[in-house]
Amino acid sequence: MKTDTLAIHGGFAGDDMSGATAVPIYQTVSYAHKTAQELAAVFEGGMPGYIYTRIANPTTTVLEARLAELEDGIACIATSSGMAAVASAVMGLVRAGDQIVAATGIFGGTVSLFENTLGRFGVKTTFVDAADAKNFKNAINARTKLVFVETIGNPRMDVPDIPAIAEIAHGANVPLVVDNTVTTPILFRPGRFGADIVVHSTSKFINGHGTAIGGAIIDTGNYDWRKGVFDDIREVSSRAGQLAFLFYLRNLIYRDLGGCPAPMNSFLMLQGLETLPGRMLKHCENAGRLAEFLQAHPKVSWVNYPGLEGSPFRARVDKLFGGLAGGLLTFGLGDKQKVFKFIDSLRLARNLANLGDAKTLVIHPGSTIFHEFSPDQQRAMGLTEDLVRVSVGIEDFEDLKADFEQAIQKSF
Amino acid sequence: MNLVVNGKETNINDGLTVSQLLVETNVRMPQMVSVEVNGQILRRSEYDQTILREDDKVEFLYFMGGGNVTD
Repeated sequence: MKTDTLAIHGGFAGDDMSGATAVPIYQTVSYAHKTAQELAAVFEGGMPGYIYTRIANPTTTVLEARLAELEDGIACIATSSGMAAVASAVMGLVRAGDQIVAATGIFGGTVSLFENTLGRFGVKTTFVDAADAKNFKNAINARTKLVFVETIGNPRMDVPDIPAIAEIAHGANVPLVVDNTVTTPILFRPGRFGADIVVHSTSKFINGHGTAIGGAIIDTGNYDWRKGVFDDIREVSSRAGQLAFLFYLRNLIYRDLGGCPAPMNSFLMLQGLETLPGRMLKHCENAGRLAEFLQAHPKVSWVNYPGLEGSPFRARVDKLFGGLAGGLLTFGLGDKQKVFKFIDSLRLARNLANLGDAKTLVIHPGSTIFHEFSPDQQRAMGLTEDLVRVSVGIEDFEDLKADFEQAIQKSF
Repeated sequence: MNLVVNGKETNINDGLTVSQLLVETNVRMPQMVSVEVNGQILRRSEYDQTILREDDKVEFLYFMGGGNVTD
């Protein structure tokens, strides 16, 4: 099946019992088995079956199957949030004393997880400028256990050379983990370009309507866990084969951390996936048009959108994302005061901490989602005080343009 | 022809696909199973097209939970 069909039918051929065409919501904590022996066999892994929704749930299983198919991966674990996905995946790979090499300018929540939370447990993270793949090679050492990048960093709006970074990671026999939240499998399938593990915040474009928090971890099948640097996962591979990493997470890290999705939220993600292909195209179209409008605007200081002609990342957008640069852009209005006035004057676009909604969303990252970082850290993340981040929605473009125009005029 | 399915010698008809093997062997919860052939997990879209060959090693894997990873 092709992408648009998978988004609607992947992982679910209808409900045999009732004929329901929407995926049933299994709002249950646990699963009864006919005999004590059977439940014991399921616990031991000798028989397939559901145990407890913190470990697996039938509604969530459909979401996992659909995401695995869309990412062209071998399997998926859905999580309660994007941060739960990153935390589970990364904690499955590192121990105290290990190192993560990550791109500078990745999502602030991920930076905090790596530096603050995992730092407390003796894991060190080295952040490098992702614009040049060589920086990853220079940072990798004998304790490195993974390389972590996002497909488009924000607010830097940089596009790393994922095939080159994958080659570097594989040269050190460590997996490349790629956060594909902002591009989604509609624009980009990281596994086809060498990535080993894909993570998502499904709360964004996949959900698409700002109605549920969620995340996902997909194993692309590229990393050979049987020959990898992870002793415990290598041991599991004798029983779980190529599924060793996700099997290890399911039965240990993910199970123990408890970051499972609510069944209702898995249903909402499945609803979102059905229309994701169409929405992504419209997000990209509107973002490209808005970027061009802002770039030509005399009161706008600068615009950063990787799809713009002249962007240093345009060639990578063409090569990796088929020319579609996503729904996010940033622009500057000179100073923070003007940005605040601009945001306060918008009528359609909403001022909030999220992205990927059907609605256009704006935020001043410096005073909100990045407020805990020092001015030096903010600069390294590509933040300036006059920066506005826009998650361009799928409204009619002329209405959006008019809203931005009137708000820019009021901000001066 | 002979295959090894979950570690056991199994005799099946020539030309069987993975989809057909799932039916023939009456595998439990077929919608939940991941199929590994000679160490490679197949994508679900490949089940119908993948024809099994003599001596293939087939594993039916589930990862809905259950099984100890710390022993």
